[in-house]
Amino acid sequence: MSKEQKGKRNQKETREDMVGLIHNLERDEDLKFNRRSFLKSAVGATVTLGVATLPFSVLALQDKEKDDNRKEIAKLADIPKDSAINFQYPTESEPAILVHTKDGELKAYNNKCTHLQCPVFYEKEESVLLCPCHRGFFSVDNGHPLAGPPQRELPLIDIQVENGVVYAVGRQIRHG
Amino acid sequence: MGKKIYWIIIFITLAVNVVALQWTIESFFGEEYEHVITYSIVSIVSSLICVLTFWRWRKQEYK
Ligand code: FES
Repeated sequence: MSKEQKGKRNQKETREDMVGLIHNLERDEDLKFNRRSFLKSAVGATVTLGVATLPFSVLALQDKEKDDNRKEIAKLADIPKDSAINFQYPTESEPAILVHTKDGELKAYNNKCTHLQCPVFYEKEESVLLCPCHRGFFSVDNGHPLAGPPQRELPLIDIQVENGVVYAVGRQIRHG
Repeated sequence: MGKKIYWIIIFITLAVNVVALQWTIESFFGEEYEHVITYSIVSIVSSLICVLTFWRWRKQEYK
C-alpha cells in the first residue's frame, strides 16, 4: 500500500482498504452526547419545569386577593319563570346570563360561547342555552355543552337570593 | 443496583414535573388558584429532590 493510501485509511468515507475502521467513532460527539450528560440534561429539564410553575403561582397569589365580589343582579320579582336577563359579572366587560327556569331554579353563566365567544341566549322552547353563531347548545342545568362545536362548559356564576334580590357571589370557570 | 436508583429517581421527578406544570397551567386558566399553588409546590419539591439526587449521584460517579 502506498504511503498516500495509508494516510487515507484513517479518514471517514474512504474506501481505501475496504474496512471503515473508524466509521463509527466520533470523538467530539462522544464527549458531548454520553450517559453522564444525558442525566445532566434530564436534571436541567426537571429544574426548568419546576421553576416554570413559579410565575403562575405568583400571579395566582396576586389574583386571589381581589377574588370575592358580590354584585346585585336584579329583583327576583322582575324575572318571571322561564325567562332570562343579562348582566355583567365579575367585571363590566364580562357578559353573563341569569336564567329563571321553568321549575323555578336560578342559573347563571357567563354567556360568551366557549367556541368563538358569541353571546349565548336562552331558548324557551327547548329550555337550553343556544349560541346562534354555529348552533352550539348548552344545558341550562349545568352549563355543559350539549351539541355543536363548543367543547368546554360555560363559567358558572354562584347565585344567592336575599330579601327577594338576586346576587352574584362568585364564579367557577371549571365545574362538574 | 447502586447508581441505577439515582437515575430512576431523577426520571421520576422529571415525569412529576411535566405533569405538575401541565396541571398548574390548566388550573391557572381555570382560575382555581389554590390548585395552582399546590401543584407548584409539588413541582418545586420534586425539583429539589432531583437536584439532591443529582449531587449524590455526582459524588459517586466521579469519586
Ligand atoms: S361561537 Fe358559539 S357555536 Fe361557535
